[in-house]
Amino acid sequence: MNVTRRAFNLGAILAAGTVILPGAVRAADEKTIAIMFDSLQSPFWVTGFDVLKEKAKAAGYQPLESISNLDDNKQFEQVQSMIQKKVSGIIIVQTDSKAVIPAIREANKAGIPMVHFNRPPAESDAKSSAVQADNRAIMKSTVQALVDKARKAGGKYKAAILIGDLGDQNAIQRRDGFFDVVDQNKDIIEVVARISTEWNPDKAFADLTNALQANPDINFLVTSSDFLLPQIQQALKIAGKWKKTGEEGHVLFAGFDGDEGQYAALKDGYMDVGGVQNLFYEADLAIGAIEKMNKGEEVPKLLLDPGFVITQETLDQDRDKMWGYAVWKKANG
Amino acid sequence: MWRFLRRLLTSEYLVLLLTALYVLCLWPFAPEIVSAQTALEVIMAMLPLLLLAIGQTFVLIVAGIDLSITSTMAFSSVVAAALMTGDGGYLAGNALAVPVALIAFLLIGLAVGCANGLCVVRLGMPSFMVTLVAQTFLSGAAIWFTSLHSTSVSIGDLPAAFSVIGRGGIAGIPYALLLCLVVAFAAHWLLGRTTLGRWLYAVGNNPRAATVSGVPTGRVIIIAFVLSGFCAALASIVYTSRLETGTPVLGQRVLLDVIGAAVIGGVSLFGGRGKISWVILGVLFLSVVDKGLQLLGLSQSIVFAVKGGVILLAAIIDALRSRILVRVAA
Repeated sequence: MNVTRRAFNLGAILAAGTVILPGAVRAADEKTIAIMFDSLQSPFWVTGFDVLKEKAKAAGYQPLESISNLDDNKQFEQVQSMIQKKVSGIIIVQTDSKAVIPAIREANKAGIPMVHFNRPPAESDAKSSAVQADNRAIMKSTVQALVDKARKAGGKYKAAILIGDLGDQNAIQRRDGFFDVVDQNKDIIEVVARISTEWNPDKAFADLTNALQANPDINFLVTSSDFLLPQIQQALKIAGKWKKTGEEGHVLFAGFDGDEGQYAALKDGYMDVGGVQNLFYEADLAIGAIEKMNKGEEVPKLLLDPGFVITQETLDQDRDKMWGYAVWKKANG
Repeated sequence: MWRFLRRLLTSEYLVLLLTALYVLCLWPFAPEIVSAQTALEVIMAMLPLLLLAIGQTFVLIVAGIDLSITSTMAFSSVVAAALMTGDGGYLAGNALAVPVALIAFLLIGLAVGCANGLCVVRLGMPSFMVTLVAQTFLSGAAIWFTSLHSTSVSIGDLPAAFSVIGRGGIAGIPYALLLCLVVAFAAHWLLGRTTLGRWLYAVGNNPRAATVSGVPTGRVIIIAFVLSGFCAALASIVYTSRLETGTPVLGQRVLLDVIGAAVIGGVSLFGGRGKISWVILGVLFLSVVDKGLQLLGLSQSIVFAVKGGVILLAAIIDALRSRILVRVAA
């Protein structure tokens, strides 16, 4: 019977834990906002999640969290639960732009506003609003800043771009923003490599390495996402081109996103220009949209974050607006 | 006191009691958990999981395991969606689109189950290995198939006549609930009242003895896998119609919940033991745990810790129950 008792004690402790843990739950009459992500798989989403929670608290809301673990059906059920909790609004990052539509309809039926954070839903009759970075405009400004540097330095440039997955609208818009600028500057820039990474770091590394071997004179490089920076660094190192600004063989280099890798590369002088999604502004837009919808005001279907461009010269002055700097500071003290 | 505890532990309804205890514990913190709306949402949430768990139970009873159910769901979901989607589907706008798509769901489920069963029986491969390979293959096939039919990661714009299966009902009773009730009753009857049911238990308890006694062991194992594939196809119909989207990652994360629910309900991983009524209680328990955690809106780490703790508690109690039952039998 001793073993049975021991097992029972363990069970009792677990049961007690089950009862005590919810003690952290807030009072029922507080104003709440549901922050529902599908995963926290990259620093961008982790930071976005934290920023949204902080901004919600600052606006007087208690954030209720949920992570669906990339399960569309689970997220649908979580939305139903948040509706039952009578939250003031739902900020959601869905896995699938089509599978989220029934959840939007449920929120519409309950009169609870829903805002999609950085991933707009597919076209439908369901009503919601989405906050998204203006990918094309940010990429345009970023590449323009890099071209300005190229013109200032003089000479001709052979360019390469790392393109994302072309099934992803963000990737397409970033690619288009790049060509909007280089097509206007063909007198000094010739695009010799369009590297389709499909957002796969291994493919990005292999294809960039091949491109650098086929075109050893590449001296103008733009990536559609900062998460490929480790692979780019490695490929440039192999090609003997991982050089700081001003050093012989430096490749004019622009990043996109504004993560901690971009901050470090700008600070260390390897990157010249970075396009930054203003995560803090996007969080303000999302919470502001919910407040407006609750007041009955019309909110556009798409709210754009114009982002900003950061360079080595403006880094110290603008880094506090950069979400990647917050991540970098946390990691490096 | 010990006598009472022993009777409690050996009760068939222990999981139901644990569910009630969990609800009582959560009530002060999430009063919404005791409401008609919650009850309805829990029932709706547990339906596809129950269909999967019923299918899995047949395989567990013959001492096998079917890891391919989630990929079977995903593959059938995208194939059927590609047939009926209004966005360039093969049968877009055709009156036969929905019936043909439903047949496609079922045929894929039956075919995958049959292939799994044949590999286990004819090639003598462990079911774990066979269904793991099937899972990997079908997952890849579902993604590849979707890429051929959609520029995004899923296939939407499904006909309203199909979506109504997951969301509509008759006389206030959801169609999905009716479907699930029919399947549960049929499975209960098959296991408890038919020769095939007795053969399934016999094969799970001791396949050699079953063969010697004249049970067509191989055929019984194949049937168990076919039934599992069939139930996965039915679950896929419910999930796909509820989300109004065919997706290659459908239900990718529910496999452990399915096996967990069956085991919590009392189905043995070693075969030969299990009842549909137990499985229903296991699925109910997990669905209520999930719902409670959703209503609390706690951070992810706390949700995982609580869910893990609650399931561990249920597993410990189940182990105690088994030990007591063995002692009583001895």
